Amino acid sequence: MDKLSNKYLRARKIPSTACSGCGLGQCHKALVKALDELEYAVNDIVWGTSIGCAGRQTFATWNGDNFAGTHGRVYAIARGLRLAIPPEMKIVLTVGDGDAFGIGFNHLLHSARTNAQMTVLVCDNLGYQSTGGQFGWTTPPGIVTDSSPYGMSEPNWVQRDMDVLNILKEAGATFLARHVSMDGAALVDTLKKAVQNNGFSLVHTVFPCTTNFAKNALGSRNAVNIFNWVKNHAAPLGQEKEDTIWRTGVYHDASNSRPEFSQSMREKVAEIQRRYQDEGSN
Amino acid sequence: MKRFLETGNFAITEGAILAGCRLFAGYPITPATEIAEAMSANLPKVGGYYVQAEDECAAMHLAVGAAAGGMKTMTATSGPGFILYADPYGWAIGCEIPIVVLNSQRVGPVSGITGAPGQGEFYNARYPTQGGNYETIVLAPNSAQEAMQLTVEAFYLSERFRTPVTILADQLITDGLEDISVPETDAEKAAMGMRFKERRVHPGPDFYPATDEIDVPPAVLGRGTGAMCSDWTPTEEGYDIETVEAQHKHSFRMIYKIRNHRDVITRYEALFLDDNPDIIAVSFGTASRTVKTAVKKARQKGLKIGMIRPISLWPFPDELFKQKAIYLSVELDYDGQMVREVQRAAPSDSEIHFLGKCGELPTVAELHELFDKLLKGEPLTSDGWDKEVW
Repeated sequence: MDKLSNKYLRARKIPSTACSGCGLGQCHKALVKALDELEYAVNDIVWGTSIGCAGRQTFATWNGDNFAGTHGRVYAIARGLRLAIPPEMKIVLTVGDGDAFGIGFNHLLHSARTNAQMTVLVCDNLGYQSTGGQFGWTTPPGIVTDSSPYGMSEPNWVQRDMDVLNILKEAGATFLARHVSMDGAALVDTLKKAVQNNGFSLVHTVFPCTTNFAKNALGSRNAVNIFNWVKNHAAPLGQEKEDTIWRTGVYHDASNSRPEFSQSMREKVAEIQRRYQDEGSN
Repeated sequence: MKRFLETGNFAITEGAILAGCRLFAGYPITPATEIAEAMSANLPKVGGYYVQAEDECAAMHLAVGAAAGGMKTMTATSGPGFILYADPYGWAIGCEIPIVVLNSQRVGPVSGITGAPGQGEFYNARYPTQGGNYETIVLAPNSAQEAMQLTVEAFYLSERFRTPVTILADQLITDGLEDISVPETDAEKAAMGMRFKERRVHPGPDFYPATDEIDVPPAVLGRGTGAMCSDWTPTEEGYDIETVEAQHKHSFRMIYKIRNHRDVITRYEALFLDDNPDIIAVSFGTASRTVKTAVKKARQKGLKIGMIRPISLWPFPDELFKQKAIYLSVELDYDGQMVREVQRAAPSDSEIHFLGKCGELPTVAELHELFDKLLKGEPLTSDGWDKEVW
């Protein structure tokens, strides 16, 4: 990552303080690579992060402007920021599964509804790992965690008939995709599409937690085991197997099909201002 | 000068627009809804945005997000919404983002009585978020006109101190119809004592200097400065760090940038304090209006009674309470809040008393009865309700 790192990241934060073998770096690198391939400069992007592993490890890595929001609220902060910064600047957010699909879900839905430009990369380590390893809203059935010691018994939001991406699609998101972090070039391609959508994009990417999740679920912190486990339970859309948990690929691409939040807000305000000034001058 | 017979809500909106507010994010709640409505009508006319959020927590985050992007922004609510501001309020304090917050107090706790005035968030406004290690700036108007002027002042202070400023109003201030004068020229604004300060942009790289100085420009996102705003303890550049040394530096700034510049903030109204009054009534907001009438009438009867109305509630103006006297704190809460600060600030050989009302104002007759009792050294009780319990 040296070339990309020198070009886009802050030396102080590289290497990250993530656990040895953590898959988060794959998500992080894929997004930086996508931005590089789209030829963005450091100051074209405002990078926001959330609470938890995904947020803490990626905050202040970008060599431009960074913000780390309160837990789950970064989608509301981004909507406000969207109105204040130039329209051509892009907001990207690296957040965790608990942040996006738990505490921040209401704000996420309203960001989708308004189609506010933000590329949300949900880096999913299948639960609350930075607090020690509790189950979350994407933890697969039966998985043992610190707060599901008898196995995860609640339904989750990646199940076939209750997929969180369907909820987001119905809420108005204009680009939705799912990957696992080892998807490499495919993940980069998807992220490029996501960033090019002038609207709300979300890319849900599962990455292996070698520490708390692996220890609880697989009984081992061996990184190879958990990487294989995640990879073996993923398959491209249409090529699912019986034990597939994560179907990968683009779920919904309605990029640039409806007005972006701040753009329509700017246009509406300009129209009202004109009308008011016309009335004032009459 | 434009004159209106309008509500405090309208006046606050006029003040915000005068101060350069160009984004308001809100969520409907009685009795602050009309601010949102007036903002939605008037902000677009000056090129500003009204955003209605999914809840109060999102509303303030939206407003803080836009403020972090360099805009002057505001949000307004009442008690049940103010408590949902706790999250973004802390973020704005920690990231040192200027923003104005209005809380029109009703009667609590929880939803309580929606259409009546309360003052139960005196301490809540001082501690609007968790964690401590900060001072807050809170201003309390007692009329629609003053609400407009303090809105302008709140924007001014928020820019100078790089922090949220709360306007602590109440239902009667925001809902009440009053005569309002809105200045149009610079001379008219100056005559009203209005102060203005434009947003500036910190050039970096040390966005969080370990100093108690004010007038440090805030970090602004989207201006190519490499700004960093986070919920974590920052290094001076803004990197997240978990050391006691960094936390001490950050806390020192949060606390002492305000404590050491109280002279810029402190505002009050003082009445009849020059002849060592026997009783000094203390009151703020709507309640202070009947208290003021009662004190003036008591003076006409020859009683030596004075009055202090703190306008800046926090930092609490301790310096106003130097005289030995019988202090009577008149508040719109039953549990006794400001009275605790009066007791702390007043000379230890003073007598400290409390009158609590809620959802209604004290009457002049009621206050005169209390003045008489206090002068005679009698206990303050009425109808079996012990108003001295606080």
